[in-house]
Amino acid sequence: MKTSLLAADARTKKRNAAEARFKAYGFAAIIVAMLALLILLTSVLGNGMSSFRQTYIALDVALPEEKLDKSGVRDLSVMSKVTTIGYAPILRNALLDALAAQGIETELSNKDIGNMISKEAAATVRNKVLANPDLVGQTVSFDVLASGRIDGYFKGRVTMESAALDGNTSPEALMIAQALADAGVMETKFNWNFFVWPDASDQRPEAAGLGVAILGSLYMMIVVLVLALPIGVASSIYLEEFAPKNRWTDLIEVNISNLAAVPSIVYGILGLAIFINFMEFNQSSPLVGGLVLTLMTLPTIIISTRAALKSVPPSIRDAALGVGASKMQSVFHHVLPLAAPGILTGTIIGLAQALGETAPLLLIGMVAFVREYPAAYTPESGLFGEASTALPVQVFNWTQRSDPAFVERASGAIITLLVFLLIMNAVAIYLRRRFERRW
Amino acid sequence: MEDMYHADRAMSTQQDIKIKADKVQVYYADNHAIKDVDVEIADKTVTAFIGPSGCGKSTFLRCLNRMNDTIDICRVEGDITIDGEDIYDPKVDPVQLRAKVGMVFQKPNPFPKSIYDNVAYGPKIHGLARNKAELDEIVEKSLRKAALWNEAKDRLTAPGTGLSGGQQQRLCIARAIATAPEVLLMDEPCSALDPIATAQVEELIDELRQSYSVVIVTHSMQQAARVSQKTAFFHLGNLVEYDDTDKIFTNPEDSRTESYISGRIG
Repeated sequence: MKTSLLAADARTKKRNAAEARFKAYGFAAIIVAMLALLILLTSVLGNGMSSFRQTYIALDVALPEEKLDKSGVRDLSVMSKVTTIGYAPILRNALLDALAAQGIETELSNKDIGNMISKEAAATVRNKVLANPDLVGQTVSFDVLASGRIDGYFKGRVTMESAALDGNTSPEALMIAQALADAGVMETKFNWNFFVWPDASDQRPEAAGLGVAILGSLYMMIVVLVLALPIGVASSIYLEEFAPKNRWTDLIEVNISNLAAVPSIVYGILGLAIFINFMEFNQSSPLVGGLVLTLMTLPTIIISTRAALKSVPPSIRDAALGVGASKMQSVFHHVLPLAAPGILTGTIIGLAQALGETAPLLLIGMVAFVREYPAAYTPESGLFGEASTALPVQVFNWTQRSDPAFVERASGAIITLLVFLLIMNAVAIYLRRRFERRW
Repeated sequence: MEDMYHADRAMSTQQDIKIKADKVQVYYADNHAIKDVDVEIADKTVTAFIGPSGCGKSTFLRCLNRMNDTIDICRVEGDITIDGEDIYDPKVDPVQLRAKVGMVFQKPNPFPKSIYDNVAYGPKIHGLARNKAELDEIVEKSLRKAALWNEAKDRLTAPGTGLSGGQQQRLCIARAIATAPEVLLMDEPCSALDPIATAQVEELIDELRQSYSVVIVTHSMQQAARVSQKTAFFHLGNLVEYDDTDKIFTNPEDSRTESYISGRIG
């Protein structure tokens, strides 16, 4: 029978329908993924963007000599005997003065008004005074932190209704805050301190920052980069270019692939057993964290480096050997530069993975509450040996706290982490473009 | 043109023996790829290896500078000597050997570097130049010998991969002769080139004969006839016939050679 080209036969129709269906499935999958990403971003950004802004009260604080330095000789050892408890009333008085100056009247007790100021503020002012004793006796302008509830009011988290049920604040306090804000004394502004300050206690979400976590993560990334990149690249070069192909190298190859799939918490247990219990490094230290993450990242780096080395055309190796280059010269002069973009990309993706890793760090104690910046080196604890925390662990930590203000902080930390990851991936893409060469 | 070739050939038979192979066997694992090959390659001569695909001519060529060493499963037996020295002697460093026996590959494979760096790489790693001026001189000399100087002199810093196919192959030849080799091995150097580029490379091969012993593997019998003075015919791993090119193409002794040349097998 003669068939016409103008009418599709049953078989062709069936094939076309299958293709159309397949395209539709793919499209639907992409839509679902985009929706999930959108929901994630809206949720995180919606919750977290406010953590980059913080409410401060601009106060002119009189620093009375009779309270802060009775001796009058500005001796630091004497002055430091006045604790934050001594500074709190001074700030409260400053706030009361500000209220009076603005003509704001209230029935609130002085204690409740004092509670509008963050408990952290007294410590901040005290540190400034101790750093500069000449301030005593003067009236100095400070931007002091408002309490978490007041801050939450300006961010929409705390409402008059919720304040009425809240033991830590009251609708009257919020009204005063609103009046102060209208007068320009209280202001919600960009919160650079979120990236600088260390973690704060449960009672002071307004003072909690990512400083220690960012520093700890940075230290760990340094350890990972310094160890994992050379070890990973060297072992890949050996396995790919020099090692004899036999049962042993096959075994090693299979094991490296398997290691890449080992759950990260297992590396945490390994790190706990080896680095802390056996080698007795300090727990919670970026050194141990970095070592554990190095172990975790190595398989990723090795696999991507080997793939990059494999993708270099053999004709380049032949060319190098043909002019009398040794094996090592051919690898280091020709193969490695051509594989560099792939190696760099793999390394940065491995680093990004390590940066976001939480589970193994919980096991080696990086979940601890750390207020002090870890020094890069001290004679007692060695390099990167001081207790620290890390960005993803800080997220984990904050999400466990009861005060809803920490939800905002945790989301802010997630945004920070995501921004770091985006930057690293952008660098990876840039490097690949920059060093990619055609042959 | 033909007359000149004949004259050259008459002279070339007087040359010294450069490479001598004696009972060479090559195995790829259990596969016996080269069987009992005896051949004597003269100095300052172009020797062509012809034969059907898979006959072992490239394998044998790669034995001559030990490029087969890079293949784990490859095993070479028998003696191959260059100037009377066994190149498979354990004391021989293949790196030194390859500086002496240059190689040009089937596909042009310049390094993804500048034209200058491509040519200068060999002399650099072998320490043939004491300073930049000497290196410049070597590069210019090599490019001139490879008939690429006029095209490349104004773009020495341009990437070698940006040249045309024929230019790339001449660049690879320049790179090979920059290390001042004594023997030049060419594995189907024109198979990826168009007829014009092929003609240029062939002309070049004929000039290179003045200074080197050239061994060329080719699928084109016309090419073998045009450029070579001696021709070896390989079939199924055996060296069937080895003689003056004239004789192989006009009056072969073995019936297999005759069948191949006349296109009945291959």
